[in-house]
Amino acid sequence: MNNTELIKKGLPKRYRREKRFRLYGMMAVMVGFIFLLILLTDIISKSLPAFSQHWIQLEVQFDPDVLGVAADAEGKALRHANYRAILKRAIRAEFPDVSKRRDKSKLAALISSSAEYELRDMLIEQPYLLGKAKTVWVRADDDLDTYYKTADKANAVRLTEKQIAWADRLQENNLIESRFNSTLFSDGDSREPEQAGIRGALVGSLYTLLVTLLLSFPLGVSTAVYLEEFAPKNRWVDLIEVNINNLAAVPSIVFGLLGLAVFINYFGLPRSAPLVGGLVLTLMTLPTIIIASRSAIKAVPPSIRQAALGIGASKTQTVFQHVLPLAMPGILTGTIIGLAQALGETAPLLMIGMVAFIVDIPQGFVDSATVLPVQIYLWADSPERAFVAKTSAAILVLLIFLVVMNGLAVFLRKKFERSW
Amino acid sequence: MDKDLHLAHHISRRFNAELEELRSDVLAMGGLVEKQLADGLVALTTSDTEIAEQVATSDYKVNSMEVAIDEKCNQILARRQPAASDLRLVVTIIKTITDLERIGDEAEKLGQLAVQITDANVSYSQFVEIRHLGDHVKSMLHDCLDAFARMDVADAMRTIEADKKINEEFESIMRQLITRMMEDPREIKNALRVSWCARALERIGDHSSNICEYIVYLVEGKNIRHISDVKLSQEMA
Amino acid sequence: MVETDINMRTELMESTQVQSVDRSDTKVADMKQQVNATIGEPFAKDPKMQARQVNVYYGNKQAIFNVSLDLGKNEVVALIGPSGCGKSTFLRCMNRMNDTIPICRVEGNITLDSEDIYADAMDPVLLRARVGMVFQKPNPFPKSIYDNVAYGARLHGLAFNKAELDEIVITSLQKAGLFDEVKDRLHEPGTGLSGGQQQRLCIARTIAVSPEVILMDEPASALDPIATAIIEELIDELRQNYTIAIVTHSMQQAARVSQRTAYFHLGKLVEIGETNQIFTNPKHELTENYITGRFG
Repeated sequence: MNNTELIKKGLPKRYRREKRFRLYGMMAVMVGFIFLLILLTDIISKSLPAFSQHWIQLEVQFDPDVLGVAADAEGKALRHANYRAILKRAIRAEFPDVSKRRDKSKLAALISSSAEYELRDMLIEQPYLLGKAKTVWVRADDDLDTYYKTADKANAVRLTEKQIAWADRLQENNLIESRFNSTLFSDGDSREPEQAGIRGALVGSLYTLLVTLLLSFPLGVSTAVYLEEFAPKNRWVDLIEVNINNLAAVPSIVFGLLGLAVFINYFGLPRSAPLVGGLVLTLMTLPTIIIASRSAIKAVPPSIRQAALGIGASKTQTVFQHVLPLAMPGILTGTIIGLAQALGETAPLLMIGMVAFIVDIPQGFVDSATVLPVQIYLWADSPERAFVAKTSAAILVLLIFLVVMNGLAVFLRKKFERSW
Repeated sequence: MDKDLHLAHHISRRFNAELEELRSDVLAMGGLVEKQLADGLVALTTSDTEIAEQVATSDYKVNSMEVAIDEKCNQILARRQPAASDLRLVVTIIKTITDLERIGDEAEKLGQLAVQITDANVSYSQFVEIRHLGDHVKSMLHDCLDAFARMDVADAMRTIEADKKINEEFESIMRQLITRMMEDPREIKNALRVSWCARALERIGDHSSNICEYIVYLVEGKNIRHISDVKLSQEMA
Repeated sequence: MVETDINMRTELMESTQVQSVDRSDTKVADMKQQVNATIGEPFAKDPKMQARQVNVYYGNKQAIFNVSLDLGKNEVVALIGPSGCGKSTFLRCMNRMNDTIPICRVEGNITLDSEDIYADAMDPVLLRARVGMVFQKPNPFPKSIYDNVAYGARLHGLAFNKAELDEIVITSLQKAGLFDEVKDRLHEPGTGLSGGQQQRLCIARTIAVSPEVILMDEPASALDPIATAIIEELIDELRQNYTIAIVTHSMQQAARVSQRTAYFHLGKLVEIGETNQIFTNPKHELTENYITGRFG
């Protein structure tokens, strides 16, 4: 048998092997894709209820007697009035047949506790309403809200049968409607699911990321440039290199402990502040940025450096006029990936107190704040059923943020990438 | 004094073979020319018409060899772009074969003259000097080709020296012939023929001397043509 | 009788061959000693740069051994030799490009117009402006053609306004024989040109800072024969105004463009001489072997 025949004989086997390998690859991709799909479907389907909220229409009488204020009361006096009472009256007015004391309180429980604050704000803003009646929409309590959103009504309902009947009556009279839940994006955290939003966490995340970016980008890039272009090649530099690579693999909680010990206990910086969170995340992101930047700088062809040096550019000019601009797409990609990592990080922030329950939206770098992933963690821990949907919604928002950031990384790389 | 040419040391084995082939072709051509010369001399001295005609008609072999070698040299120049000693070798060969071809022409002339002289019945005594000159020229050509085969500069220089002696002999033959022609004008026609023979032999000596000069150029890289003896001895020192 | 002569002579020829091989073996030892001294005339009549007893070390390894060599004004010196013979290293010593390699150490004396280029008083940046370099691989910056040429002038502040800069760019491109080909697309990227054009762009970029000496490290090794011929023609024209040293692996190229040729072998300058002489009658056996393609 000659060579041609031998080769021919082996060919089908080789092709089969290639085909098989390609199939394995496709299967691996498919499996990954299916998992992603499952994850996304799960999150999206679970999060959908969080984007809507049921409201109840009530005819509220701003009766000064019931409120417990003078007929001409204004400002501060209105602040401590009994709004709960007028709410109770308003809902009882819809159900005159309810008379038992227990039933009455059950009836009032259909309304969110946030409603009284909304009435207060409304009255303070429009004092002329005092003594008059007004039709207002108030949030339904999370139990009622969940009742409407749950398919499996028999088991998973915390309402009594009476409450369900009342609710049905309200619905028959078109006094209940579902609206887009803007609270989710405009409010901070709350114990009451119907009042809880992610705005506080989002702003906290933004402040934290800003601190991280402002610190880690210049630090990381300078370190990379120095190590790659200027540092002498000796044992110390090798040691530093090993340590940087090591840091990238250190569990993030260790950075949290470090931040707690150094920034809070030693330097006395405030707890739960985006500033400290940013510092800790900077520590965590630095190795990623340094490693990515170094490999980007290394990938710049030496011929460009030689060309610049050969014309008489100094070393620094060569680096800043030629090497860095060419390495920038890679550096930016590395930075964004590092920041995306930081955005999704929880563990180190737990250590520095960013896990606290914070209702207010942070106004600066030293205000108490929490961040998105921690918010998710907090909500996932909460017992109220409505928080399940909120958790998923927050995860979805976080995912969208990550996709946007990674998309930005791809965009920047494409935009600044140059061929040589 | 002589440098090694290491013709067989190229990285390209085919180049080695090509140069080797070229050199043996030149030697074969030299051998053929040598035979022509020897035959011409025999024809002249023995009045053998048959050999004389053979010499006169077989010059085409030498010519065709020249053309073939020339072609090979061109190909090597075009394809190998030889440098240094290789370049000198190829250039030397191109020139050497021209001179060899001329020698062939002169030998052919000898053959033609031999036929004419035989017809004219020239007396034998006139050929003693010619034979003597012919032997010298023959051995000079022989030495010249040996020097080429060995790439031996010392041999080549000796051969160049020998050319002077041949020139002297030629001069003396010419003087004798002139004397004879003045003594007996009837002999002029034959004397002229004999002088042409001598002239042809002298030219062969010159061509051999040229070839030896090329050999010196090939080995030493020095051009010793057309320079005075004093300068030559300085050059070769 | 004559037939046997031919045979005899062929045998003679063969025997000389054998003999010469034997002789070459014994010669290797002499030759190695001979290498220490350069054969030929390393000094130029009108020198622009002079190297004297230059030794270069990479760490503990010596790369260049005691090389002395002049670059004369308005001449092209070709440095040839097998890979790793130190010719590029030597070239890079001439404008201190070796400074960028930390383990590289240069001993000896190199002068530019009798100024020691390794003296403390000599700034390497200034030196590289005076001694330009063209590299093996065309390496235009990923910028426009205009910016590539203008870069050096901007860097050294050679132009005081836009018109002067334009002038520098245009004359440099003209000198490099590239202007006519690119005049309509000066603001397109230099990396979009063909290999030969890129190399000429690099030459234009180098001459835009008006250097006195141009060092070329295998400038045509990545180019096709036509582009190579254009570059070689350019080198010959540039010789009128500049001193040029060129490292090349192509012996034909060295023979074509240079006036003097230096042959390096294992870090030593074995032979230097007129290019005509080196390519027809080299003195040293190593040079002979290299340019005729023999194994030494």
